[in-house]
Amino acid sequence: MKSRLFLLRLAMKNLFRHTRRTFITGISIAVGLAMFILIDSLLVGIEEDSTRNLVLYETSSTSIMKEDYWAEKENMPLKHSIEKPEAVIEALQPTGYSAAPRISFSGELIMRQDPYPEDGSMQTRVIAIDPSLDTEVYLLDESISRGRFLEQDEMGVVIGEWLAEDIGADIGSPLTIITRTKSGYFQTIDVEIVGLVNTPNPIVNRTGVYIPLETADYLLEMNGAVTQIDLSFPYTTDLKESTANIQSALSKLPPSTMDELAVVDWKELGKDFVALAAAKSGGTKVILFLVFLIAAVGISNTMLMSVYERIREIGMFRAMGMSDGEIRLAFLMEAGGIGLIGATAGVLLGVLVNIPMVENGIDYSFLMRDFDMGYRITGIARGLWNYGTIVSAFVTGIVLSIVIAFIPTSKALKMQVTDALRFQ
Amino acid sequence: MIEVTGVKKTYRSGETLVHALRGVSIKIENGEFMSIAGPSGSGKTTLLNLIGCLDTADHGSILIDGTDISTKDKQELALLRRRSIGFIFQSFNLIPVLTAFENAAFPLSLLGLEEKEIQRRTMEILKEVGLGDMAHRKPAELSGGQQQRVAIARALVKDPQIVLADEPTANLDSRTGQEILELMEGLNRNHGTTFVFSTHDKMVMDFARRLVLLHDGLIQKDESQEPSLGASTTLATGVSTERQGG
Repeated sequence: MKSRLFLLRLAMKNLFRHTRRTFITGISIAVGLAMFILIDSLLVGIEEDSTRNLVLYETSSTSIMKEDYWAEKENMPLKHSIEKPEAVIEALQPTGYSAAPRISFSGELIMRQDPYPEDGSMQTRVIAIDPSLDTEVYLLDESISRGRFLEQDEMGVVIGEWLAEDIGADIGSPLTIITRTKSGYFQTIDVEIVGLVNTPNPIVNRTGVYIPLETADYLLEMNGAVTQIDLSFPYTTDLKESTANIQSALSKLPPSTMDELAVVDWKELGKDFVALAAAKSGGTKVILFLVFLIAAVGISNTMLMSVYERIREIGMFRAMGMSDGEIRLAFLMEAGGIGLIGATAGVLLGVLVNIPMVENGIDYSFLMRDFDMGYRITGIARGLWNYGTIVSAFVTGIVLSIVIAFIPTSKALKMQVTDALRFQ
Repeated sequence: MIEVTGVKKTYRSGETLVHALRGVSIKIENGEFMSIAGPSGSGKTTLLNLIGCLDTADHGSILIDGTDISTKDKQELALLRRRSIGFIFQSFNLIPVLTAFENAAFPLSLLGLEEKEIQRRTMEILKEVGLGDMAHRKPAELSGGQQQRVAIARALVKDPQIVLADEPTANLDSRTGQEILELMEGLNRNHGTTFVFSTHDKMVMDFARRLVLLHDGLIQKDESQEPSLGASTTLATGVSTERQGG
């Protein structure tokens, strides 16, 4: 025990033998770990924000729709609609989840010269919403950047601000939507743009087209039917638990109605994003690995130099009767010391830089406007405090230093004592 | 007592085999002050390394107090060195980050002695080597002779059975070298510790009370002698010289 304390003292003294080198290595570890903490904070923050924006503006927490509609979701077939949404909403009341009926259908937007710069059309997804109920589930009404939100039973439309910019539309511009009714007949809907939304979700800004539910109900001959009932609950809620709650509530419905309903959570609805997030987490790991590699090279370089210039000293230690284990321990404690200094500085630096990242974030709206990166954030990427990462970065910094120092120390200990004593 | 019998050692230097020792036998009694002399490449350092358990012989045996060191494993040899053998190196080999006191106390710390005991014994030996007032200095703040005194203190502080010194004066000027030799001789007499040192310097070999002359890995001469400087008693011991070819 006493000799261990002596080894620890020796290691600590050696640590400050070359203050500049210890400082440089410490800095390289610190910068590596700070970058690790920062990148992780940003990526987790972006994912968290994306998830929130996906749920609050695009998918809702969970959607109830006809199984056949879900199976053919790409075509959005109105014939597979929920005929009595009120009954479903009523059945869901015990769950305490807010519910909003919607009709999602495909249509062709037609733009004609004056007021539009040129004639054109585009295939789009139109969503009919109940202006009063929808606000219980989505935050579209709070994201009106110009004009106003929809009112019941009007021939108005709210579209994404970016979409308006892209097609050259403005408040008051007429818009024609060509679609098919529930029965399959062509229908032309002439509406006027009453508002533009600018949400934190770029998909909504780029493609969103919203009309009032009552207007759609009449024009699409839905007779009160809707394609989906979207529900809201905190997105952190366990999805298995919420799905079970919903299914238990729906079981009160007549079997024929209940059997045909699919309960689809946001992870399923936003599958593209979930898959993308998973894929990006692979990329994230590569970035983090590279950051660690930089720190590792710094540490290994220092430890190599530190061990090789002290091979004669190691020879002397062994001549004095120090065991290989004790010598290794002394060197590893020294490496651990460098790791500790670097990791402490790294965590401090990472936390300091992360404060403005969490508070203010980085504005890269210029990038998000033109490129679809798959994330559901439009402008400011904010960091998130990830305490697990901070702790693991700290521990890894120390462990990595020790592991890397192990190799040159073991090499030096393999030499004959006499060779080590003669080493130049 | 140390008994070296028929020891041979060959090692490879690049493409060539070097026969460092070709069959050396020697007995070293406790309390001797002995010099192993010879020109460069005669096998002095190899013999010291073998006696000091830093290397192993290819042939022959080395007995320390009746125990054959070839039967001991790496760990046991390290323990033997820690307890019973002190080393003094040509280039001092002090730890630069430690003070003279800490360097000298190093072997006692390894033995895990009480802090008080370490303090007492280290200060005692530092005073004995004339560095009582320089205990707090680091090696870089000491002259070559003073550094070697610290190294001597470090070798002696644990009261070893034998102190092995490989060319202890080679890096020192002749006056400092003589002072170091006088110091070693005095400590040998006061402590009764066996001193074996290698040298190729005539002045140094004349200083020993027993001179073993090596040439091409063989003992050429082994005799007691009257030390030429500052020495007093002669401790002649039974010596056998074995000359073997190869």
